[in-house]
Amino acid sequence: MESVSRRKLLATAGAATGTAALAAAPAAAAGVLDRGEVTDPSGPLPDEAIVAVVRDPKRGEVTVMAGEREVTYRDPSLVKRLVKAAPKSKE
Amino acid sequence: MSSHREAPEISQDPVADSTDTYAFVSPDKPDTVTIITNYIPLEDPPGGPNFFEFGDDVLYSIYIDNDADGQPEIEYRFRFRTKLRNPETFLYNTGPITSIHSKNWNRRQFYDVSRIHYGKHNGHRPKPKVLGRDLPCPPCNIGPRSTPNYASLAGAAIRKLGDGERVFAGQRNEGFYVDLGSIFDLADLRPFQNLHLIATQPTMAVDATATLNVHTIAIQVPIKRLTRDRSVPSDPMSHKAVLGIWGAASRRKTRLIDKASGKVAESGPWVQVSRLANPLFNEVIVPVGEKDSWNALPPSADKRFLKHVEHPELAKLLPVLYPGVFPHLAALKAKRTDLVAILLTGLPRGVVAGFQNHTGKTLADMLRLNVAIPPNTSNPSPLGLIGNDPAGFPNGRRVFDDVVTIELRAIAGATYPLVQPSYQPDPAASQVTQGITPGPDRYQPTFPYLGTPHDGYSTGVS
Repeated sequence: MESVSRRKLLATAGAATGTAALAAAPAAAAGVLDRGEVTDPSGPLPDEAIVAVVRDPKRGEVTVMAGEREVTYRDPSLVKRLVKAAPKSKE
Repeated sequence: MSSHREAPEISQDPVADSTDTYAFVSPDKPDTVTIITNYIPLEDPPGGPNFFEFGDDVLYSIYIDNDADGQPEIEYRFRFRTKLRNPETFLYNTGPITSIHSKNWNRRQFYDVSRIHYGKHNGHRPKPKVLGRDLPCPPCNIGPRSTPNYASLAGAAIRKLGDGERVFAGQRNEGFYVDLGSIFDLADLRPFQNLHLIATQPTMAVDATATLNVHTIAIQVPIKRLTRDRSVPSDPMSHKAVLGIWGAASRRKTRLIDKASGKVAESGPWVQVSRLANPLFNEVIVPVGEKDSWNALPPSADKRFLKHVEHPELAKLLPVLYPGVFPHLAALKAKRTDLVAILLTGLPRGVVAGFQNHTGKTLADMLRLNVAIPPNTSNPSPLGLIGNDPAGFPNGRRVFDDVVTIELRAIAGATYPLVQPSYQPDPAASQVTQGITPGPDRYQPTFPYLGTPHDGYSTGVS
Protein backbone atom coordinates (compact mmCIF):
# COMPACT_ATOMS: atom_id res chain seq x y z
CA MET A 1 0.00 0.00 0.00
CA GLU A 2 1.26 3.44 -0.90
CA SER A 3 2.32 5.42 2.11
CA VAL A 4 0.44 8.66 2.79
CA SER A 5 2.62 11.67 3.42
CA ARG A 6 1.44 14.64 5.44
CA ARG A 7 1.71 16.88 2.42
CA LYS A 8 -0.44 14.60 0.30
CA LEU A 9 -3.05 14.30 2.98
CA LEU A 10 -3.21 18.03 3.54
CA ALA A 11 -3.48 18.67 -0.17
CA THR A 12 -6.16 16.02 -0.60
CA ALA A 13 -8.17 17.27 2.35
CA GLY A 14 -7.95 20.85 1.18
CA ALA A 15 -8.83 20.10 -2.41
CA ALA A 16 -11.68 17.79 -1.59
CA THR A 17 -13.44 19.52 1.23
CA GLY A 18 -11.98 22.97 1.74
CA THR A 19 -10.20 24.53 4.61
CA ALA A 20 -12.93 24.00 7.17
CA ALA A 21 -12.68 20.25 6.70
CA LEU A 22 -8.90 20.49 6.90
CA ALA A 23 -9.10 22.27 10.21
CA ALA A 24 -11.57 19.71 11.54
CA ALA A 25 -9.59 16.67 10.38
CA PRO A 26 -10.91 13.61 12.19
CA ALA A 27 -8.97 11.82 14.84
CA ALA A 28 -8.19 8.97 12.49
CA ALA A 29 -6.47 11.33 10.11
CA ALA A 30 -4.58 12.87 12.99
CA GLY A 31 -3.18 9.46 13.67
CA VAL A 32 -1.88 9.28 10.13
CA LEU A 33 -0.47 12.78 10.42
CA ASP A 34 1.35 11.85 13.55
CA ARG A 35 3.10 9.15 11.58
CA GLY A 36 3.99 11.50 8.72
CA GLU A 37 7.35 10.91 7.15
CA VAL A 38 9.87 13.47 5.97
CA THR A 39 10.09 13.44 2.20
CA ASP A 40 11.14 15.58 -0.74
CA PRO A 41 8.40 17.55 -2.54
CA SER A 42 6.93 15.44 -5.32
CA GLY A 43 6.30 18.41 -7.58
CA PRO A 44 6.24 22.18 -7.84
CA LEU A 45 4.06 24.38 -5.68
CA PRO A 46 0.49 24.66 -6.92
CA ASP A 47 -0.48 28.06 -8.32
CA GLU A 48 -2.89 28.54 -5.44
CA ALA A 49 -1.44 27.03 -2.31
CA ILE A 50 -3.35 26.24 0.87
CA VAL A 51 -1.42 27.93 3.63
CA ALA A 52 -1.79 27.51 7.38
CA VAL A 53 -0.28 30.04 9.75
CA VAL A 54 -0.01 29.25 13.44
CA ARG A 55 -0.73 32.60 15.01
CA ASP A 56 -0.57 31.71 18.66
CA PRO A 57 0.40 28.16 19.71
CA LYS A 58 -0.68 28.73 23.31
CA ARG A 59 -4.19 29.71 22.25
CA GLY A 60 -4.35 27.02 19.58
CA GLU A 61 -5.02 29.69 16.97
CA VAL A 62 -4.39 28.97 13.30
CA THR A 63 -5.32 30.87 10.15
CA VAL A 64 -5.87 28.86 6.98
CA MET A 65 -5.78 30.57 3.61
CA ALA A 66 -7.12 29.15 0.39
CA GLY A 67 -7.90 31.11 -2.75
CA GLU A 68 -8.79 34.66 -1.77
CA ARG A 69 -10.27 33.61 1.57
CA GLU A 70 -8.89 33.04 5.02
CA VAL A 71 -10.42 31.57 8.14
CA THR A 72 -8.97 31.67 11.63
CA TYR A 73 -9.74 28.72 13.89
CA ARG A 74 -9.09 27.92 17.48
CA ASP A 75 -8.10 24.29 17.06
CA PRO A 76 -5.54 23.20 19.64
CA SER A 77 -5.17 19.72 18.17
CA LEU A 78 -4.42 21.00 14.65
CA VAL A 79 -2.02 23.59 16.03
CA LYS A 80 -0.34 20.93 18.11
CA ARG A 81 0.17 18.75 15.04
CA LEU A 82 1.51 21.64 12.99
CA VAL A 83 3.88 22.73 15.72
CA LYS A 84 5.05 19.15 16.06
CA ALA A 85 5.60 18.96 12.30
CA ALA A 86 7.48 22.24 12.16
CA PRO A 87 11.21 21.80 11.45
CA LYS A 88 13.36 22.35 14.48
CA SER A 89 16.47 24.43 14.27
CA LYS A 90 18.74 21.33 14.33
CA GLU A 91 16.99 19.70 11.35
CA MET B 1 7.40 62.69 -3.99
CA SER B 2 4.53 63.08 -4.43
CA SER B 3 4.29 59.57 -3.18
CA HIS B 4 7.29 58.03 -4.86
CA ARG B 5 8.99 55.61 -2.47
CA GLU B 6 7.24 57.43 0.36
CA ALA B 7 7.07 54.61 2.93
CA PRO B 8 9.66 52.03 3.99
CA GLU B 9 7.80 48.89 2.91
CA ILE B 10 6.38 50.10 -0.38
CA SER B 11 9.71 51.62 -1.39
CA GLN B 12 10.88 48.00 -1.80
CA ASP B 13 7.96 47.14 -4.10
CA PRO B 14 7.93 49.54 -7.06
CA VAL B 15 5.25 47.84 -9.18
CA ALA B 16 2.75 48.30 -6.35
CA ASP B 17 3.98 51.76 -5.34
CA SER B 18 1.38 54.33 -6.31
CA THR B 19 3.17 57.55 -7.15
CA ASP B 20 0.41 59.98 -8.09
CA THR B 21 -3.35 60.08 -8.40
CA TYR B 22 -5.07 62.61 -10.63
CA ALA B 23 -8.78 63.34 -11.03
CA PHE B 24 -10.26 66.12 -13.12
CA VAL B 25 -13.14 66.95 -15.41
CA SER B 26 -11.78 66.09 -18.84
CA PRO B 27 -10.96 69.36 -20.63
CA ASP B 28 -11.87 68.00 -24.06
CA LYS B 29 -14.85 65.91 -22.88
CA PRO B 30 -16.40 67.89 -20.03
CA ASP B 31 -19.20 65.38 -19.51
CA THR B 32 -16.56 62.93 -18.24
CA VAL B 33 -14.09 62.63 -15.39
CA THR B 34 -10.57 61.33 -15.99
CA ILE B 35 -8.87 59.45 -13.18
CA ILE B 36 -5.19 58.52 -13.41
CA THR B 37 -3.19 56.41 -10.99
CA ASN B 38 0.53 56.07 -11.61
CA TYR B 39 2.90 53.34 -10.45
CA ILE B 40 6.61 52.44 -10.58
CA PRO B 41 8.48 55.50 -9.35
CA LEU B 42 11.47 57.05 -11.07
CA GLU B 43 11.56 54.84 -14.18
CA ASP B 44 14.83 55.34 -16.00
CA PRO B 45 13.88 54.94 -19.68
CA PRO B 46 16.89 52.81 -20.79
CA GLY B 47 16.08 50.18 -18.13
CA GLY B 48 16.22 47.03 -20.27
CA PRO B 49 16.29 44.24 -21.20
CA ASN B 50 13.43 43.62 -18.78
CA PHE B 51 11.64 46.89 -19.32
CA PHE B 52 9.14 48.18 -16.80
CA GLU B 53 5.69 46.62 -16.55
CA PHE B 54 2.78 46.34 -14.15
CA GLY B 55 2.74 43.55 -11.58
CA ASP B 56 0.82 40.47 -12.68
CA ASP B 57 0.43 39.69 -8.99
CA VAL B 58 -0.90 43.11 -8.01
CA LEU B 59 -4.52 44.21 -7.84
CA TYR B 60 -4.77 47.86 -8.91
CA SER B 61 -7.86 49.74 -7.76
CA ILE B 62 -9.47 53.12 -8.30
CA TYR B 63 -12.09 54.01 -5.71
CA ILE B 64 -14.89 56.54 -5.85
CA ASP B 65 -16.87 57.72 -2.83
CA ASN B 66 -19.99 59.59 -3.94
CA ASP B 67 -21.87 59.83 -0.64
CA ALA B 68 -19.27 61.45 1.58
CA ASP B 69 -18.54 58.62 4.01
CA GLY B 70 -14.90 57.98 3.09
CA GLN B 71 -15.82 54.53 1.79
CA PRO B 72 -16.10 53.52 -1.84
CA GLU B 73 -19.37 53.13 -3.69
CA ILE B 74 -17.56 52.28 -6.92
CA GLU B 75 -14.28 50.46 -7.56
CA TYR B 76 -12.52 49.94 -10.88
CA ARG B 77 -10.17 46.96 -10.77
CA PHE B 78 -7.25 46.27 -13.07
CA ARG B 79 -5.43 42.91 -13.27
CA PHE B 80 -2.48 42.35 -15.59
CA ARG B 81 -1.13 39.31 -17.38
CA THR B 82 2.24 39.02 -19.10
CA LYS B 83 2.63 36.82 -22.18
CA LEU B 84 5.90 35.66 -23.68
CA ARG B 85 6.12 34.79 -27.37
CA ASN B 86 9.59 33.30 -27.32
CA PRO B 87 11.25 32.17 -24.10
CA GLU B 88 14.42 31.23 -25.99
CA THR B 89 15.66 34.81 -26.41
CA PHE B 90 16.79 37.36 -23.86
CA LEU B 91 15.31 40.15 -25.96
CA TYR B 92 12.22 42.22 -25.17
CA ASN B 93 11.74 42.57 -28.92
CA THR B 94 13.38 40.80 -31.82
CA GLY B 95 12.80 43.56 -34.37
CA PRO B 96 10.91 46.84 -34.75
CA ILE B 97 7.55 46.96 -33.00
CA THR B 98 5.43 48.70 -35.58
CA SER B 99 2.02 47.65 -34.32
CA ILE B 100 0.57 46.70 -30.98
CA HIS B 101 0.21 43.12 -32.26
CA SER B 102 3.72 42.96 -33.72
CA LYS B 103 5.29 39.50 -33.75
CA ASN B 104 8.61 41.17 -33.02
CA TRP B 105 7.36 42.09 -29.56
CA ASN B 106 8.28 39.28 -27.24
CA ARG B 107 7.15 40.24 -23.77
CA ARG B 108 3.66 41.74 -23.89
CA GLN B 109 1.21 42.67 -21.19
CA PHE B 110 -2.59 42.54 -21.19
CA TYR B 111 -5.18 43.45 -18.60
CA ASP B 112 -8.77 43.00 -17.52
CA VAL B 113 -10.91 45.83 -16.16
CA SER B 114 -13.89 45.28 -13.90
CA ARG B 115 -16.21 47.51 -11.93
CA ILE B 116 -17.76 46.89 -8.55
CA HIS B 117 -20.71 48.75 -7.07
CA TYR B 118 -20.73 48.57 -3.31
CA GLY B 119 -24.23 48.77 -1.94
CA LYS B 120 -25.12 49.49 1.61
CA HIS B 121 -23.06 47.35 3.90
CA ASN B 122 -25.27 44.29 4.12
CA GLY B 123 -22.52 41.72 4.41
CA HIS B 124 -22.76 40.50 0.82
CA ARG B 125 -19.68 40.52 -1.37
CA PRO B 126 -20.58 42.46 -4.50
CA LYS B 127 -19.74 40.75 -7.76
CA PRO B 128 -17.41 42.57 -10.15
CA LYS B 129 -18.70 43.31 -13.63
CA VAL B 130 -16.02 42.67 -16.22
CA LEU B 131 -15.86 45.64 -18.59
CA GLY B 132 -12.93 44.55 -20.71
CA ARG B 133 -10.76 41.47 -21.13
CA ASP B 134 -7.28 41.03 -22.58
CA LEU B 135 -6.85 44.72 -23.32
CA PRO B 136 -3.33 45.41 -24.61
CA CYS B 137 -0.75 47.64 -22.98
CA PRO B 138 1.68 49.37 -25.35
CA PRO B 139 5.34 48.41 -25.14
CA CYS B 140 7.77 50.59 -23.27
CA ASN B 141 9.37 53.29 -25.41
CA ILE B 142 12.72 51.70 -26.20
CA GLY B 143 14.19 53.71 -29.02
CA PRO B 144 13.93 54.61 -32.71
CA ARG B 145 14.80 51.10 -33.95
CA SER B 146 12.51 49.19 -31.64
CA THR B 147 9.54 51.53 -31.24
CA PRO B 148 9.81 53.86 -34.24
CA ASN B 149 6.28 55.30 -34.06
CA TYR B 150 5.53 55.23 -30.39
CA ALA B 151 2.60 57.62 -30.40
CA SER B 152 0.62 55.33 -32.69
CA LEU B 153 1.46 52.30 -30.54
CA ALA B 154 0.19 54.10 -27.46
CA GLY B 155 -2.86 55.36 -29.30
CA ALA B 156 -3.79 51.82 -30.28
CA ALA B 157 -3.82 50.91 -26.59
CA ILE B 158 -6.61 53.36 -25.75
CA ARG B 159 -9.74 51.25 -25.59
CA LYS B 160 -13.44 52.01 -25.25
CA LEU B 161 -15.44 49.91 -22.88
CA GLY B 162 -19.05 48.93 -23.27
CA ASP B 163 -20.40 51.14 -20.50
CA GLY B 164 -18.96 54.38 -21.85
CA GLU B 165 -15.58 54.30 -20.16
CA ARG B 166 -12.25 54.65 -21.96
CA VAL B 167 -9.08 53.11 -20.57
CA PHE B 168 -5.36 53.11 -21.08
CA ALA B 169 -2.64 51.28 -19.18
CA GLY B 170 1.03 51.61 -20.00
CA GLN B 171 4.15 53.71 -19.86
CA ARG B 172 3.87 57.51 -19.97
CA ASN B 173 5.94 60.60 -19.35
CA GLU B 174 6.23 61.41 -15.64
CA GLY B 175 3.91 64.37 -15.16
CA PHE B 176 4.92 65.18 -11.61
CA TYR B 177 7.71 67.71 -11.39
CA VAL B 178 9.81 68.39 -8.33
CA ASP B 179 13.26 69.49 -7.24
CA LEU B 180 13.80 66.28 -5.31
CA GLY B 181 17.46 66.75 -4.49
CA SER B 182 16.83 70.18 -3.07
CA ILE B 183 13.78 69.50 -0.97
CA PHE B 184 15.22 66.43 0.69
CA ASP B 185 18.46 68.26 1.43
CA LEU B 186 17.04 69.56 4.71
CA ALA B 187 14.07 71.27 3.06
CA ASP B 188 16.05 73.59 0.84
CA LEU B 189 13.34 75.89 -0.51
CA ARG B 190 14.20 78.00 -3.47
CA PRO B 191 14.56 80.99 -3.57
CA PHE B 192 15.48 81.06 0.12
CA GLN B 193 18.49 78.75 0.16
CA ASN B 194 20.77 81.64 1.10
CA LEU B 195 18.58 82.15 4.17
CA HIS B 196 18.75 78.48 5.21
CA LEU B 197 20.36 77.59 8.52
CA ILE B 198 23.06 75.96 6.39
CA ALA B 199 23.14 78.61 3.71
CA THR B 200 24.20 78.14 0.10
CA GLN B 201 24.25 80.44 -2.86
CA PRO B 202 20.93 80.67 -4.74
CA THR B 203 20.90 78.36 -7.74
CA MET B 204 18.47 77.37 -10.46
CA ALA B 205 15.94 74.67 -9.62
CA VAL B 206 16.52 71.14 -10.93
CA ASP B 207 13.57 69.25 -12.38
CA ALA B 208 14.55 65.85 -11.00
CA THR B 209 11.84 63.92 -12.84
CA ALA B 210 12.22 65.64 -16.23
CA THR B 211 13.69 62.60 -17.99
CA LEU B 212 11.79 59.87 -16.16
CA ASN B 213 8.76 57.76 -17.03
CA VAL B 214 6.00 56.16 -15.04
CA HIS B 215 3.36 53.48 -15.57
CA THR B 216 -0.12 54.90 -15.89
CA ILE B 217 -3.59 53.46 -15.40
CA ALA B 218 -6.07 55.97 -16.79
CA ILE B 219 -9.82 55.74 -17.07
CA GLN B 220 -12.29 58.26 -18.42
CA VAL B 221 -15.80 57.84 -17.08
CA PRO B 222 -19.06 59.65 -17.86
CA ILE B 223 -19.89 61.86 -14.87
CA LYS B 224 -23.36 60.40 -14.63
CA ARG B 225 -21.84 56.98 -13.96
CA LEU B 226 -20.02 58.27 -10.89
CA THR B 227 -22.48 60.53 -9.05
CA ARG B 228 -24.74 59.17 -6.34
CA ASP B 229 -27.97 59.77 -8.27
CA ARG B 230 -26.53 59.35 -11.77
CA SER B 231 -26.99 63.05 -12.45
CA VAL B 232 -24.61 65.51 -14.08
CA PRO B 233 -24.54 68.26 -11.43
CA SER B 234 -24.38 71.85 -12.62
CA ASP B 235 -24.56 73.57 -9.22
CA PRO B 236 -21.09 73.68 -7.61
CA MET B 237 -22.74 74.19 -4.22
CA SER B 238 -24.53 70.84 -4.42
CA HIS B 239 -23.03 68.07 -2.31
CA LYS B 240 -23.96 65.67 -5.09
CA ALA B 241 -21.31 67.37 -7.20
CA VAL B 242 -18.38 66.25 -5.02
CA LEU B 243 -16.63 62.92 -5.58
CA GLY B 244 -13.99 61.45 -3.27
CA ILE B 245 -11.34 59.60 -5.28
CA TRP B 246 -8.24 57.57 -4.44
CA GLY B 247 -6.10 54.79 -5.86
CA ALA B 248 -4.69 51.70 -4.20
CA ALA B 249 -2.67 48.57 -4.87
CA SER B 250 -3.07 45.23 -3.11
CA ARG B 251 -1.14 41.98 -2.88
CA ARG B 252 -2.16 38.50 -1.81
CA LYS B 253 -1.54 37.83 1.85
CA THR B 254 1.01 35.06 1.37
CA ARG B 255 3.61 34.41 -1.26
CA LEU B 256 5.65 31.23 -1.61
CA ILE B 257 8.65 30.80 -3.87
CA ASP B 258 9.21 27.40 -5.45
CA LYS B 259 12.85 26.45 -5.06
CA ALA B 260 13.03 24.35 -8.22
CA SER B 261 11.26 26.60 -10.70
CA GLY B 262 11.67 29.99 -9.07
CA LYS B 263 7.96 30.54 -9.65
CA VAL B 264 5.65 32.04 -7.09
CA ALA B 265 2.47 30.66 -5.54
CA GLU B 266 0.06 32.88 -3.68
CA SER B 267 -2.77 32.45 -1.27
CA GLY B 268 -5.16 34.40 0.87
CA PRO B 269 -7.14 37.60 0.55
CA TRP B 270 -5.92 40.78 -1.09
CA VAL B 271 -4.18 43.11 1.32
CA GLN B 272 -3.76 46.78 0.49
CA VAL B 273 -0.09 47.77 0.40
CA SER B 274 -0.30 51.23 -1.15
CA ARG B 275 -2.84 54.01 -1.50
CA LEU B 276 -2.79 57.56 -2.69
CA ALA B 277 -5.07 60.54 -2.97
CA ASN B 278 -3.71 63.93 -1.95
CA PRO B 279 -0.11 64.29 -3.06
CA LEU B 280 2.46 64.30 -0.26
CA PHE B 281 0.00 63.23 2.46
CA ASN B 282 1.82 60.06 3.43
CA GLU B 283 5.16 61.44 2.31
CA VAL B 284 5.27 64.68 4.29
CA ILE B 285 2.45 64.59 6.84
CA VAL B 286 2.63 61.04 8.23
CA PRO B 287 5.68 60.16 10.40
CA VAL B 288 7.92 57.39 9.15
CA GLY B 289 6.87 54.99 11.90
CA GLU B 290 3.23 55.15 10.74
CA LYS B 291 3.65 55.29 6.96
CA ASP B 292 3.36 51.56 6.33
CA SER B 293 0.17 51.25 8.36
CA TRP B 294 -1.27 54.30 6.59
CA ASN B 295 -0.74 52.53 3.28
CA ALA B 296 -2.71 49.53 4.54
CA LEU B 297 -5.70 51.51 5.85
CA PRO B 298 -8.75 52.87 4.07
CA PRO B 299 -9.33 56.65 3.98
CA SER B 300 -12.20 56.26 6.43
CA ALA B 301 -9.59 55.39 9.10
CA ASP B 302 -7.62 58.60 8.68
CA LYS B 303 -8.92 60.13 11.90
CA ARG B 304 -5.93 58.55 13.61
CA PHE B 305 -3.62 60.79 11.56
CA LEU B 306 -5.52 64.00 12.37
CA LYS B 307 -2.91 65.28 14.83
CA HIS B 308 -0.23 65.17 12.15
CA VAL B 309 -2.39 67.35 9.89
CA GLU B 310 -3.31 69.74 12.67
CA HIS B 311 0.33 70.15 13.66
CA PRO B 312 2.47 69.20 10.66
CA GLU B 313 6.14 68.59 11.33
CA LEU B 314 7.26 70.65 8.34
CA ALA B 315 5.43 73.74 9.64
CA LYS B 316 7.46 73.47 12.82
CA LEU B 317 10.71 72.92 10.92
CA LEU B 318 10.46 75.84 8.50
CA PRO B 319 11.00 78.60 11.12
CA VAL B 320 13.94 76.62 12.52
CA LEU B 321 15.58 75.99 9.17
CA TYR B 322 14.97 79.56 7.97
CA PRO B 323 15.64 81.78 10.99
CA GLY B 324 13.66 84.99 10.82
CA VAL B 325 11.89 84.11 7.56
CA PHE B 326 8.70 82.60 9.00
CA PRO B 327 8.06 84.47 12.29
CA HIS B 328 4.27 84.36 11.99
CA LEU B 329 4.34 80.65 11.27
CA ALA B 330 6.61 80.15 14.29
CA ALA B 331 4.04 81.88 16.48
CA LEU B 332 1.12 79.90 15.06
CA LYS B 333 0.36 77.21 17.65
CA ALA B 334 -3.31 76.64 16.86
CA LYS B 335 -4.58 73.55 15.06
CA ARG B 336 -4.19 73.88 11.31
CA THR B 337 -7.85 73.58 10.48
CA ASP B 338 -7.07 74.96 7.02
CA LEU B 339 -5.00 71.86 6.25
CA VAL B 340 -7.65 69.60 7.79
CA ALA B 341 -10.19 71.12 5.42
CA ILE B 342 -7.96 70.89 2.35
CA LEU B 343 -6.77 67.32 3.00
CA LEU B 344 -9.37 65.55 5.13
CA THR B 345 -12.85 67.07 4.75
CA GLY B 346 -12.81 69.35 1.74
CA LEU B 347 -13.49 73.07 1.81
CA PRO B 348 -17.04 73.91 2.94
CA ARG B 349 -19.11 76.56 1.22
CA GLY B 350 -18.39 80.12 2.30
CA VAL B 351 -14.60 79.73 2.47
CA VAL B 352 -13.85 80.43 -1.18
CA ALA B 353 -16.53 82.31 -3.10
CA GLY B 354 -18.42 80.07 -5.49
CA PHE B 355 -16.54 76.93 -4.49
CA GLN B 356 -16.84 73.97 -2.16
CA ASN B 357 -15.65 70.38 -2.21
CA HIS B 358 -16.84 69.45 1.24
CA THR B 359 -17.64 65.84 2.06
CA GLY B 360 -18.84 66.21 5.62
CA LYS B 361 -17.32 65.29 8.95
CA THR B 362 -15.66 62.02 7.99
CA LEU B 363 -11.92 62.63 8.05
CA ALA B 364 -10.53 60.93 4.97
CA ASP B 365 -7.61 61.60 2.66
CA MET B 366 -9.29 61.68 -0.73
CA LEU B 367 -8.97 63.84 -3.79
CA ARG B 368 -12.23 65.77 -3.75
CA LEU B 369 -13.45 66.73 -7.17
CA ASN B 370 -16.40 69.06 -7.66
CA VAL B 371 -17.59 67.94 -11.08
CA ALA B 372 -19.86 70.98 -11.48
CA ILE B 373 -16.79 73.22 -11.81
CA PRO B 374 -16.10 73.30 -15.55
CA PRO B 375 -12.57 72.66 -16.80
CA ASN B 376 -10.43 75.73 -17.39
CA THR B 377 -9.28 75.43 -20.99
CA SER B 378 -8.39 79.08 -21.61
CA ASN B 379 -6.03 80.09 -18.83
CA PRO B 380 -5.43 77.31 -16.32
CA SER B 381 -3.15 78.09 -13.40
CA PRO B 382 -0.77 75.39 -12.16
CA LEU B 383 -1.39 76.84 -8.70
CA GLY B 384 -5.03 75.74 -8.88
CA LEU B 385 -7.35 77.24 -6.31
CA ILE B 386 -4.67 79.48 -4.74
CA GLY B 387 -4.01 80.72 -8.28
CA ASN B 388 -7.71 81.62 -8.61
CA ASP B 389 -8.37 78.60 -10.79
CA PRO B 390 -11.00 76.44 -9.05
CA ALA B 391 -10.68 73.73 -11.70
CA GLY B 392 -7.33 72.73 -10.22
CA PHE B 393 -5.92 71.29 -7.01
CA PRO B 394 -7.28 70.88 -4.38
CA ASN B 395 -10.38 70.54 -6.53
CA GLY B 396 -9.24 67.13 -7.71
CA ARG B 397 -5.83 67.33 -9.33
CA ARG B 398 -4.78 67.97 -12.93
CA VAL B 399 -1.63 66.51 -14.43
CA PHE B 400 0.14 69.87 -14.59
CA ASP B 401 -0.83 71.25 -11.18
CA ASP B 402 2.22 72.37 -9.20
CA VAL B 403 1.18 70.51 -6.09
CA VAL B 404 4.57 70.86 -4.40
CA THR B 405 4.44 74.65 -4.47
CA ILE B 406 0.75 74.67 -3.49
CA GLU B 407 1.27 72.40 -0.50
CA LEU B 408 4.49 74.07 0.61
CA ARG B 409 2.74 77.42 0.61
CA ALA B 410 -0.22 75.96 2.46
CA ILE B 411 1.96 74.39 5.14
CA ALA B 412 3.92 77.65 5.40
CA GLY B 413 0.68 79.35 6.40
CA ALA B 414 -0.59 80.87 3.17
CA THR B 415 -3.98 79.15 3.49
CA TYR B 416 -4.53 79.66 7.22
CA PRO B 417 -6.45 82.92 6.63
CA LEU B 418 -9.16 80.83 4.97
CA VAL B 419 -10.21 79.72 8.44
CA GLN B 420 -8.71 82.56 10.53
CA PRO B 421 -8.96 85.81 8.55
CA SER B 422 -7.02 87.79 11.16
CA TYR B 423 -3.86 85.71 10.59
CA GLN B 424 -1.21 87.46 8.51
CA PRO B 425 0.92 84.93 6.63
CA ASP B 426 4.63 85.58 6.41
CA PRO B 427 5.48 87.24 3.08
CA ALA B 428 7.72 84.25 2.37
CA ALA B 429 4.75 81.86 2.48
CA SER B 430 3.45 83.11 -0.85
CA GLN B 431 6.94 83.39 -2.38
CA VAL B 432 7.99 79.79 -1.97
CA THR B 433 8.19 78.23 -5.39
CA GLN B 434 9.76 75.25 -7.01
CA GLY B 435 10.99 77.44 -9.83
CA ILE B 436 10.26 74.65 -12.31
CA THR B 437 8.35 74.98 -15.54
CA PRO B 438 7.63 71.53 -16.99
CA GLY B 439 8.43 71.09 -20.67
CA PRO B 440 5.65 71.02 -23.27
CA ASP B 441 6.14 67.32 -24.12
CA ARG B 442 5.27 66.31 -20.61
CA TYR B 443 1.54 66.46 -21.25
CA GLN B 444 -0.87 66.16 -24.13
CA PRO B 445 -4.30 67.75 -24.58
CA THR B 446 -6.19 64.48 -24.96
CA PHE B 447 -6.61 61.24 -23.04
CA PRO B 448 -4.53 59.99 -21.26
CA TYR B 449 -3.15 63.54 -20.91
CA LEU B 450 0.35 62.47 -19.84
CA GLY B 451 2.79 62.82 -22.71
CA THR B 452 4.69 60.25 -24.75
CA PRO B 453 7.25 58.54 -22.52
CA HIS B 454 10.93 59.24 -23.02
CA ASP B 455 12.64 56.61 -25.13
CA GLY B 456 15.59 54.79 -23.67
CA TYR B 457 17.90 55.45 -26.61
CA SER B 458 17.65 59.24 -26.52
CA THR B 459 17.53 59.75 -22.78
CA GLY B 460 20.69 61.40 -21.56
CA VAL B 461 21.79 62.34 -25.09
CA SER B 462 22.04 66.10 -25.28
